[in-house]
Amino acid sequence: MEGINQFIRFTGFANLTIEHVVMLCIGLIFIYLAIKKEYEPLLLVPIGFGILMGNIPFVEHVGLQIGLYEDGSVLNYLYFGVMKGIYPPLIFLGIGAMTDFSALLSNPKLMLLGAAAQVGIFLTFMAALALGFSVEQAAAIGIIGGADGPTAIFLSSKLAPELLGAIAIAAYSYMALVPVIQPPIIKLLTSKEERQIKMKPPRAVTKLEKMSFPIVGLFLTTFISPGALPLLGMLFFGNLLKESGVTKRLADTAAKPLIDIVTILLGLTVGASTQATQFLTKESIMIFVLGAISFMIATAGGVLFAKFMNLFLKKDDKLNPMIGAAGVSAVPDSARVVHMLGLAEDSSNYLLMHAMAPNVSGVIGSAVAAGILMGFLLKVF
Amino acid sequence: MFEQFSLSNIWENDGVLISVVGYIVVFVSLLSLAIIITYFQKVLQLKQRKKLKSAGHHAADADDLSISGEVSAAISTALYLHYEEKHDLENTVLTIKRVQRTYSPWSSKLYGLRENPKR
Repeated sequence: MEGINQFIRFTGFANLTIEHVVMLCIGLIFIYLAIKKEYEPLLLVPIGFGILMGNIPFVEHVGLQIGLYEDGSVLNYLYFGVMKGIYPPLIFLGIGAMTDFSALLSNPKLMLLGAAAQVGIFLTFMAALALGFSVEQAAAIGIIGGADGPTAIFLSSKLAPELLGAIAIAAYSYMALVPVIQPPIIKLLTSKEERQIKMKPPRAVTKLEKMSFPIVGLFLTTFISPGALPLLGMLFFGNLLKESGVTKRLADTAAKPLIDIVTILLGLTVGASTQATQFLTKESIMIFVLGAISFMIATAGGVLFAKFMNLFLKKDDKLNPMIGAAGVSAVPDSARVVHMLGLAEDSSNYLLMHAMAPNVSGVIGSAVAAGILMGFLLKVF
Repeated sequence: MFEQFSLSNIWENDGVLISVVGYIVVFVSLLSLAIIITYFQKVLQLKQRKKLKSAGHHAADADDLSISGEVSAAISTALYLHYEEKHDLENTVLTIKRVQRTYSPWSSKLYGLRENPKR
């Protein structure tokens, strides 16, 4: 009889709380959005399922080694790559091996849009400070505005590991919700005429330019912001593998199997890190709200800066201000959203290549911003 | 959390300083990268200009020697059509080539498909 009682005490039903139910519902919503609405399914399915796995109730801290936060559990080992910031650089390696920087190289001034959109990071950083978060926590929250999941995880693992789960979930959620969040802001800030602006087609970029970019980019960005070296080093390395043309096998591995494996591990463990007992706090809710604000400010910052640049550009060189929204680094979703909005206004206006330029420079910009924040706030001396 | 809201937290933690300096540094890094890329392209075009000049081509004095992706796509298509689609008429002679295969009971339909397997 004692054995039966113990078995019942160990079941999920006996340990279920209202918090678990809430988190399980959130996990199911993620999976629904991924499958039914196809919002970033490659991210939301692993994260959603991770949320389900992380919120199956059990008796904690009695040596069962089941939960993500219990030493020695399988999930705990897999989560090590998140905690120590190992997965984000590997993701960046894959992104580098997949990214074609031609659009950026053919029109380098679009890089400024990627810089402008980083305003969300710094304004949210100040808002989080005002709300009473510590300066390290505020920096980790602000980086959500970079709309770059790996960068957010990397920075929060260094500055505020206690908030890592909430920040990662917020960053990835907003990345997945780009098609919902960005269009109203873009439409609010642009006129119909502006949305219909057709940009000059990008010039053909030589192979030498493409090969030189990762090396020049590495030197320039990491000398200014060495904190971003793990991310930008891997990004540019992956890109050199692709563009050199002599390491096709390595580039293929980085761009396909490697990034897929790391995405699975990252998504699942980040999802599982939302264990209700640790995750559902007032702070997590604040992080979600601040993350949303950060993302909106970043989008608006990019669009407004594109309009500002138009004041100084010749009539033939005018930018479609919508591409400024792609300065947030949710690659390639925000570029795709801008492209679709452009087509909705004028079915012959193809903005994808133009929007990819600020989009990839946003990746570089948010990594540089993360490096700068680390440089300011990591207590090493 | 709202109870702790205070704008003075920003000043006390150097929030404005970090934000302003951080944002400027992000801008400067990407701006300098943009400038280097722009001039790198011009340096690469110097050699091309020299070649065009020695050939006496007037395009050597143009502001921008690069061609747009659309133009290169059009050139590529024209070259493809020139080299791959030279004929105006399709070849109307069709031939059916008989393929001889040596007989083997392993590939025989007679043994493989028509016979019931032995029980």
